[in-house]
Amino acid sequence: MSAFRTLLLCGLAIAALYGMRNSTPGYGDITAPIAIRGAVGERVETRDFAFGAASVHLARQLKVESFGRVKDFSTSGIWLVIEGAAVSKTETMTLMSAEWLASNGVRYALSQRFSTVPGYLPTERLEPGLPRPVLLAFELPEAAVDQGTLLVARSRVSPLAEELSIALGDKKPAEIKPSVTIARSGSGAPWTLAAH
Amino acid sequence: MPVMRRSKIRQRLLIMLVTGIGGMAAAAISFASAVYDAANPVPVPVIGKDQVVDTGRWRVTINGAHMSSLPPTGTKPFEPKRFLLVDLELDNRSVASSNVFMNLITIKDDAAPLQPKPTYYLARDKWIASAINPNMPEKLVAAWEWPADRPEPQTLSLAIGKQIYKPRDNLYGAPNWFDDGEAAVVELPVTQAVETTEQ
Repeated sequence: MSAFRTLLLCGLAIAALYGMRNSTPGYGDITAPIAIRGAVGERVETRDFAFGAASVHLARQLKVESFGRVKDFSTSGIWLVIEGAAVSKTETMTLMSAEWLASNGVRYALSQRFSTVPGYLPTERLEPGLPRPVLLAFELPEAAVDQGTLLVARSRVSPLAEELSIALGDKKPAEIKPSVTIARSGSGAPWTLAAH
Repeated sequence: MPVMRRSKIRQRLLIMLVTGIGGMAAAAISFASAVYDAANPVPVPVIGKDQVVDTGRWRVTINGAHMSSLPPTGTKPFEPKRFLLVDLELDNRSVASSNVFMNLITIKDDAAPLQPKPTYYLARDKWIASAINPNMPEKLVAAWEWPADRPEPQTLSLAIGKQIYKPRDNLYGAPNWFDDGEAAVVELPVTQAVETTEQ
């Protein structure tokens, strides 16, 4: 009888430990960034910076004009180009992380293929109180655009930092342009977008 | 009561003996299995070109290799150089964009490992590749700068590394990908490409 009780207690303890192990959120969950929700067309604020996505374009091909040469960037999916503005609030910073979260949970990193595009988000230094126009470009399969959200944060790995989660909503562009040219501009925004 | 106490001590001794022997047996079995695994590694399959290697996170197909004096950009280098160009296809099966494949494909040459690492180019754009997105298979060209003092290879064997996903790693319990040996070795001939003159 006593042996049976001991066995039963052992079994119960193992079951309880197993349950606790499986219901404890993992390190990735408890240190995940804190999402701040917003939509395209509005200014979204965190404690350290504010960001607003103004317009969204879709294109089959991007052309980048720099130093008198035009470089073609093709893709097997489509290009998603976002024009926006960002401002830091407390200190000089660079927004190093931007991702596109598709509705099926797949994350697409900001394209790293441009080195000379003016105003590209990870190359833009933000001074406190001085808003800067910024440009973002993603390479996506066409199906990933619908219901997707834009995630912007100071860095990729920053436990418990704030991360903007900006929904595209009904601001999805009606058509996919065959080609969009990004060129340097003399005044106003540092680039101009021209669709063909 | 001395009789009771003695039986209790004996019970305790028995428990200590059982747990001690059990623990030592567990340690010995785990050590022996680790030694056995190290002594008898699972043979890595050797395959030819144009065969898909499923590494779990990536699907890799090596399509061919050739020597060239031009990098994939087509711009002639200032000093004459030789490049070993490997055409490959990559499909990212994981949930996020990644450029880890750049560390996973290595030339298997025990005598003298080739340094530095290759540069990857997108076959479409003839331009330097970055992270490969999920659900967007890409054709790439890996370019190794071939040392001038080494004879040009006739055959090439490439080791394709693989990674495993751990939802909780052993240190923090954080989800991550970890290197896990080789998925396959691809052996293929190196052809001498016809020299094209561009730019």
